[in-house]
Amino acid sequence: MQQPKPIPSPPAWADRLLRLVCPDDLREELLGDLHEQFDQQVAERGEVTARRLYAWEVIRFCRPYFIRRRFSIQTTTSTTYSPSFLSTTMLHSHLKIAFRNLWKYKLFSFINVMGLSVAMTACFLIALYVHFELTYDAFHTKADRIYRLATDLKTESETIHYDISSWAFAPNLKREFPEVENFARLSVKERLVRKGDLKFQENKTVFADASFFSLFDFKLLEGDPKTALSEPMSVVLPEKTVRKYFGDSDPMGQTLLLGDEGTPVKITGVMQDIPANSQIKGDLFVSMISYTQHFNKGIEQEWGDFGTLSFLLLKPGATPDALADKFPRFLESHAGKMMREHKMGITMVMEPLRDVYLYSKRGAEESGSRANVTVFSVIGLFILLIACINFINLTTARSIDRAKEVGVRKAIGAAKGLLARQFIGESVLLCMLAFLVALILSTLLIPGFNSLAGKLISPGILSNLPFVGGMAIAALAIGCLAGTYPALVLSSFEPVIVLKGRFIANAKGVLVRKGLVTGQFTIATVLIIATMVIYSQVDFMRTRELGFSKDQMLVIRAQNGSKRNAFAASISGLSGVKSTAASSSVPGGKNSQAASFMENNAGDMQGGNLDVYRIDFDFIPQYDLKVVAGRAFSRDFPADSSQSFMINEAMVKVLGYSTAQAAIGKRVEQWGRTGRIVGVLKDFHFKSLQETIKPLTFRVTDWWNGDLLSVKLDGRNMRGVVEAIKAQWRQHNPDRPFDYYFMDEFFDRQYRSDERFQTLFLTFALLAIFISCLGLLGLASYATVQRTKEIGVRKVLGASTGSIVSLLSKDFLKLVVLAFLVASPLAWYGMHRWLENFAYQTPIRWWVFASAAVLSVTIAFLTISFQSIRAALLNPVKSLRSE
Amino acid sequence: MGRTYLGEFEELVLLTVAILNGAAYGLNIAEELKKRTLRSINLSGVHVALYRLEEKGFVQSELGGATTARGGRRKRLFSITAYGKRTLDEMRQVRNDLWGSIPNLSLS
Repeated sequence: MQQPKPIPSPPAWADRLLRLVCPDDLREELLGDLHEQFDQQVAERGEVTARRLYAWEVIRFCRPYFIRRRFSIQTTTSTTYSPSFLSTTMLHSHLKIAFRNLWKYKLFSFINVMGLSVAMTACFLIALYVHFELTYDAFHTKADRIYRLATDLKTESETIHYDISSWAFAPNLKREFPEVENFARLSVKERLVRKGDLKFQENKTVFADASFFSLFDFKLLEGDPKTALSEPMSVVLPEKTVRKYFGDSDPMGQTLLLGDEGTPVKITGVMQDIPANSQIKGDLFVSMISYTQHFNKGIEQEWGDFGTLSFLLLKPGATPDALADKFPRFLESHAGKMMREHKMGITMVMEPLRDVYLYSKRGAEESGSRANVTVFSVIGLFILLIACINFINLTTARSIDRAKEVGVRKAIGAAKGLLARQFIGESVLLCMLAFLVALILSTLLIPGFNSLAGKLISPGILSNLPFVGGMAIAALAIGCLAGTYPALVLSSFEPVIVLKGRFIANAKGVLVRKGLVTGQFTIATVLIIATMVIYSQVDFMRTRELGFSKDQMLVIRAQNGSKRNAFAASISGLSGVKSTAASSSVPGGKNSQAASFMENNAGDMQGGNLDVYRIDFDFIPQYDLKVVAGRAFSRDFPADSSQSFMINEAMVKVLGYSTAQAAIGKRVEQWGRTGRIVGVLKDFHFKSLQETIKPLTFRVTDWWNGDLLSVKLDGRNMRGVVEAIKAQWRQHNPDRPFDYYFMDEFFDRQYRSDERFQTLFLTFALLAIFISCLGLLGLASYATVQRTKEIGVRKVLGASTGSIVSLLSKDFLKLVVLAFLVASPLAWYGMHRWLENFAYQTPIRWWVFASAAVLSVTIAFLTISFQSIRAALLNPVKSLRSE
Repeated sequence: MGRTYLGEFEELVLLTVAILNGAAYGLNIAEELKKRTLRSINLSGVHVALYRLEEKGFVQSELGGATTARGGRRKRLFSITAYGKRTLDEMRQVRNDLWGSIPNLSLS
């Protein structure tokens, strides 16, 4: 049976809108007319057009006449109304009163507006930061279908979580599983790039598959996105790289020389600069086929060689979990034999692209911290909350001054609702003022904020207009919310009592205000304690004995083998140079990992993927590393270059030996070398203090590695010595840039993010203190004014200045102490959790709390004394004369 | 003349109310105007004009009976008041005088 066709009806939302804007008494007739017209139009022009016309007609009804009438006081006569709230006369009067009040109580107004605008600025900047962090990689239109293919590698001793995968994974996945639509692999390398006289060591030379531009939304300004990276030896440059090498001339079709051997590569495209909130960054993008077919032929068949970031694009509707379930069989069929031979288990893991930046624990060029985002959001809200509390506090406290005004207004017939609206209106006005100030402050602060965060979070306020709009709406909402409580309190005054002049603030209101002040001082104290703990942790990390010498150590990116040796020999004679040592890695930097097998306590060959330092004979003495058992590598033992290994104490423990001595002479197989352990080094921090010291193996450099040359200087005339070294470099390597850094700065660079965290926290703590002090100042000055007469009488009767100051301060100091008692456990818990991120932590000492307490009480006392001392010094004649 | 100001559109609406005499309500006034003036007329404008006219005392209104065509909603029916009629008369008089005063008027 066929369903009867439903009767056409106008859009329901339009009717709701009409109900919202049109006065209740007119609703029936207006809806009636509209519906009748709709029915006609359905008959004449069809339902679709009629609905559109209907909606348009309703929108036309949103005109001031109806809205004004809607919100006016309803009268009984049919279509007349009496204007009240929005009538221009009353509005004028209210505005005038509002501005007069602002002007009369300049200090109060200033505190209110300043407090709010500072808080709004902080919140605005934090919102920018949080938004920036949360939208990483969100600009790719296919982001929800792109997954990063990462690898877990399980060895006998540990499981390593890589962010990279094998070259073979992605192409074979696409071949075998229809749900994989496409893939792109990226391999970030460091390459020397030359063009004529220009030569740069490009840290982010990225080899990328031809599909790169179809997977990701990086725009090509020139060149064809489909073919730009499909030919061997083709390269796509971002605009900034183009400027660096070509200035303003057209780069298309030109060539650059890539790598030490200077392979010419042709420029086939120019891409837009990569946005700041992209994980994938690069200075130049070379076609992957150049790598897999030329520079490293055969790498695509290596299932056990992990060195490329792989991204998979799944077909729409494909479920990643279902695909992941098929991975074990896939790996087994391709790499099962290899895994068993090497005693390693490979697991492939897919991570959604959007989650990689904030959530993935795997290593990455850039990674955000979900915890930081949360912490800052909470702080931002706290600061805003404190400012709102001040606002409510001050306005309510001031209410008594305006009690007479309210009384008079009521006596001549103002309704409670009207008064409430007047006061809410005033608070909205203040908030809008604060908004304007905040806007100016934010504009000024954005550049500083960018450098504090170390990222280009915002190029300027004009590029964040939606946020400005959001802030305006927030200001409006704060105005309404923060104004509501004072408005209700004020509008409910009894005119008779108020006008008789016997009005006293009720006890309940006082309690609420005290509670609010305690609340904000709690927040400020938590932030003070947190800042101190963060400072002591960062200080702890920077000053801790690392186990090696990092001072006056220059590290130069030299080349391998004989070239490096020749250069080292040429500078070792320079005055100011103490010694040189070559290695493949230095503390605080990256190091290779190698599949290694070592004889453990049980006599088995224990396998594992271990950190490797390849060092020459001078490295151990130059870095001041202590040998705890056996001996260091030495030129006296020719076999050291091919058969000897050293390990650190952490390695000894992993192997199960009770003493370092026991490990000496045990067998080792690693990267084609078999040999024995000749010495054990005392543990030193080769990574940041966030990590525990991991097992580490040492072997002597080969001729093809060890490109880092550490130069120990004697510390005199550093600049001159560096210049001299540079001159030698130019002679030896005219076609390579002189690339160097100082070891201590390099190592401390690891704490940069912690230092940023510390600076940010300090800033916010200062802000919170500032805002709470403003609040306290306002309240204290109010209380003092209230007690002017009392103080006068006391002075006449012989009270000393000191006693009056303490009388006025006591009440508030009690609140601050209470706030401290609440804040301490909260801060302790929070900071305890934060410290858990670090393997080596400073203890939270008692004096942190003690000094926070002293600090907050002192600040509070100083704030209050501003008012109380003035009040205490006032001549009693003045204060008592007024009646 | 201390007469209340009457806008051009309001005058048109007032005239239409007079034409429809007693049966005038928002929608049919709008349609009548659309037919006669070939302008695009929207309901909300007509309604605002009607309510203003009522506030000024040129028209009066009452709620009519319910009809099924409007989902059972009643219409507000407008009729012109004596004051409204007089005002229209006066305006017409003023215009006629003005027209008569134009020299060499050609009506071709």
